[in-house]
Amino acid sequence: MTDRRRINGPLGGTAPPVFVSSLTSKTTSPAKRTRAPDELRKIFLKTGLTPSASGSAYFELEPSTPTAASECLASKAPALKLTCTVHGPRPLPRSAPFSPQLLLSTRIKFAPFAARQRRGYIPNVGERDLAAHLETALRGVLIGERWPKSGIDVVITVLEGEEDNSWNKGQSGESGRTGGWGMMSILSGCITVASAAIIDAGIDCIDLVTGGVAAVVRQPTAPPQVFLDPCPSDHEEIFAACVIGYLQTRDEITELWTKRSIMASTDDNRANTMEFEPLVDQAVEAAVAARLVLIEAIKESTEVKVQTSQFGHPKNAAS
Amino acid sequence: MSRHKLVKALDLDEELDDFDGGADSDYGEEVGAEDKEHLRLGTAKVRDVLGPEVSITDREIEDSLWHYYYDVDKTTPKKARKQKVNSDVNKSDDFFRDSPWLNIPEDRRGEILIEPLYPRGRLMGGSSKSDGAPKSKLAALAAARKKKENQRAEDGQNATNSVALLDKLSGKPRQGKPDCASDISSPKPLIAITEQTMNEQPRKYPRRKSKGLKSPQDDQPAKEAFKKSDSLASPDVDKQPEITPAADPSVFAQTIFAAPAVSQQHDLQTSDRYVLGPDTYAEFDFAGPSPDDVVTKAQNTKRPTQKPVKQPPQPSSGDESVNAIFQGVGVVAIEEPKVKGKNLDVMAEFERSKPKNAANFVVIGHVDAGKSTLMGRLLYDLKVVDQRTLDKYRKEAERIGKASFALAWVLDQGTEERSRGVTIDIAMNKFETESTSFTILDAPGHRDFIPNMIAGASQADFAVLVIDASTGNFESGLKGQTKEHALLVRSMGVQRIVIAVNKLDTIQWSQDRFDEISQQVSAFLTTAGFLAKNLALVPCAGLTGDNIVRKAEDPQASWYTGAPLISLLESSEPVTRALEKPLRMTVDDIFRGGVQNPLSISGRLDAGNVQIGDTVVIMPASQTASIKGLEVDSEPSDWAVAGQNVILHLADIEAKYLKSGDVVCPPAVPIQCVTSFTVKILAFEHITPMHCEVHKGRLHAPGRVTKLVAQLDKASGAAVKGKKPRLIKPGSVARVHVEVDDPIPLEQGGRVILRAGGETIGAGLVE
Repeated sequence: MTDRRRINGPLGGTAPPVFVSSLTSKTTSPAKRTRAPDELRKIFLKTGLTPSASGSAYFELEPSTPTAASECLASKAPALKLTCTVHGPRPLPRSAPFSPQLLLSTRIKFAPFAARQRRGYIPNVGERDLAAHLETALRGVLIGERWPKSGIDVVITVLEGEEDNSWNKGQSGESGRTGGWGMMSILSGCITVASAAIIDAGIDCIDLVTGGVAAVVRQPTAPPQVFLDPCPSDHEEIFAACVIGYLQTRDEITELWTKRSIMASTDDNRANTMEFEPLVDQAVEAAVAARLVLIEAIKESTEVKVQTSQFGHPKNAAS
Repeated sequence: MSRHKLVKALDLDEELDDFDGGADSDYGEEVGAEDKEHLRLGTAKVRDVLGPEVSITDREIEDSLWHYYYDVDKTTPKKARKQKVNSDVNKSDDFFRDSPWLNIPEDRRGEILIEPLYPRGRLMGGSSKSDGAPKSKLAALAAARKKKENQRAEDGQNATNSVALLDKLSGKPRQGKPDCASDISSPKPLIAITEQTMNEQPRKYPRRKSKGLKSPQDDQPAKEAFKKSDSLASPDVDKQPEITPAADPSVFAQTIFAAPAVSQQHDLQTSDRYVLGPDTYAEFDFAGPSPDDVVTKAQNTKRPTQKPVKQPPQPSSGDESVNAIFQGVGVVAIEEPKVKGKNLDVMAEFERSKPKNAANFVVIGHVDAGKSTLMGRLLYDLKVVDQRTLDKYRKEAERIGKASFALAWVLDQGTEERSRGVTIDIAMNKFETESTSFTILDAPGHRDFIPNMIAGASQADFAVLVIDASTGNFESGLKGQTKEHALLVRSMGVQRIVIAVNKLDTIQWSQDRFDEISQQVSAFLTTAGFLAKNLALVPCAGLTGDNIVRKAEDPQASWYTGAPLISLLESSEPVTRALEKPLRMTVDDIFRGGVQNPLSISGRLDAGNVQIGDTVVIMPASQTASIKGLEVDSEPSDWAVAGQNVILHLADIEAKYLKSGDVVCPPAVPIQCVTSFTVKILAFEHITPMHCEVHKGRLHAPGRVTKLVAQLDKASGAAVKGKKPRLIKPGSVARVHVEVDDPIPLEQGGRVILRAGGETIGAGLVE
């Protein structure tokens, strides 16, 4: 399907010129991870971004190298900015068949300016794939039976998405149908932000679901190691990664997505055999950490709600 | 039982009559000496907080303290606010004096709150509507009655000393008093209690047992092992991220959310109406299966099962939920792949089968050089094609006036190919001699179908170059596809080439002509990179069959004493194949292999091996499929190894994920899909950064040469010193950077051809 209603840019995208000066200044110092292996990037999460939606939230991962942002545009370290709106629960249209449960539909869209490569308006395969992953993650947490004949739409806009390689490395490596490693972090963020927005909308959930990522990463000297919340541009090579949607109080996983095989990553060095489960465990820990932020954000929004409802209620104000 | 109900049940008039006048004295009697002391202290504190300008009687303060269990904090704002409301009313015009236009502080703004559409905790119906929506008479009556009751309840609550009154009525002393009394020196705001209960709440749920947030030490040994093996030696690795990784909003976030409101906290103390009441029902903690599930599962287990032996022992106690979980575990089984493999050791099988020497060769040459006819003759003479079939072809060919094409029709099966008299797509056929089994890949000679020829050549071990010896045709061929094909197969990695100088019968087997041709062709091929020892020349005539399988019978051809074409083919050395490497197979064709096999793919195994039951990944779609059946050279087989032409019958995949040119890989080591790569090429034309088409076997994708990295020395392969090339001349070797729009599966060492505008501009190796 081609989009003929809008004037679209060239299909392959155009690369703005990279001038020599910026190249020489930057190529010498590729981004390096300054965090500890088990340290996450700082998360900013706030609900109530969109007043007209039933629930909404904004999620932001600060750039991994905060100093780089000031230099120039081209050298800006990738950050992640997501907005999520939840519409509903609203009655299904008359034409829709009867559904005894809440119908969940998820959409993830990259803003055209989200990455260096501009995106079209029509969701591509990668975005639909992410949305499908998100749907599985959320479906396990919603109590759908309480909302028969209704549906909710979870719409996520990626305002800024990570790229696999930093800008100065130039070439994008593996970015197949499912996208690169950056997609893993984006999905994790999407799960957390969608969870916040759903709670903001007041839809019944069995627990708070949060997303976490861990990856097996090649290191220049040491054997491969597991890093929480990897930023693809920080690492030389990522062997395998795992995204998880995790419910802490129930110790349940609603979504699990791994990429590449850990066995393949350790082929050359048999001494350091890695297993799958520890990687998942690390991802779970990332999810547990993200949950703390989610709880803070919910508490904050609940307090504001309590306060406004108190002011707004005339009977209550009088007493 | 809530106080509300008590009040409802109370006949107010009667009670008030009873306590008329005597209430004060009764109240005084109730308060013990200890309480009085607390009251006095509390009153003093409240006075301190309020300051002298507030006019409240001691009695009022005491009442409030009593009401709030000596909570000074709570008492104070309530009083203060009463005063404040009064003063606000007086100075309402000054309310907005100090706030600038359009920048009113958050806490002074009036907000329009739209009630969210949550379901009310009542039955659906008209009675709860308080707005002007139409009601039924009955609903109106019910609403009126309800309103009246509420009114009475409110009156009761607003009565001055109703609390004391109620306590008296209930007839039991206050429970909280002694506790509160001991606590009066540091009164706790109620919100703190709320938080406490909130913190306690999750403790009802089972924490993650293996690694709780606060118990990093009791991890299971697996994790310990993992830690050691990964050299996560630093002690803080196991430390849980106890600090919330919360960040301050970025500049962007600050702009979309307005500046954080400063005065959010100022009124939270009064939020007592959100104090959670005591639980009136047992909460279900969602840790176990729901009661419904338990019942259904228990019912299911009652049914007689087929294997009573496997049934786990039933716990004799009535613990139904444990029982149900036990059963549930039994029901859950890991889904097994539908196709069962034999788990053969393919390499051992291959050794045991003592395979015949196998060789694939591609037949190339200029258009109308007689490639198809030559191969048709070869197959006919080797009795692969029987006389009857050929007679049929001959008759049909005569009917459309192309009698000489009858032999070519053995390979050219398509109607268009036959009517036009040119090969369009690669035709594959097999034949066997005593020592070797051959696969013919008959390539099209027409320049429009070069992509198909590339597809064929990528599967070939060696090539047969057919040259038209007749006057004029050889010369035009050498300028045309004879040259291009030869260069292409060389850059596709073909080392050995057999040159069949065809149609010698038309020039009376002239030896001079043959010598001239062989001299020119050898000279050209040597410059193209073929070694002289890998070239073999044979004069032949495809139409008559001379010097193909049998020696030429024509006396004019007696000067040629060498072997016929078939012997030259057989003398090709066996090629070593990458049997041990991970599986790689380029999909050549996708088709419906019959009712049993709705989806089949054909192609040649480039590397590795495969057997029935294997799971494979199709790149770049990265979809998994399992192999349901396997055919090697149209014979059903259980396994296949590199070098063989196979048909795979796939299951668990949809046809939309497959296209020709895809690569079949094992799931553990999938081929990488890249959008940009560096390639070492031999240029056939001038190359600048330009648009081009990247061909790799069957696959071709639009792309562009983005950068000319370096010009390389032809002999040593080292980069030529000097400035970066701006143009690559034909015949030189260079390293260029290529980008494609869509990711294509490529590996290091893969061979690609670059074409632009219908011409091959270069060919080379991916680095």
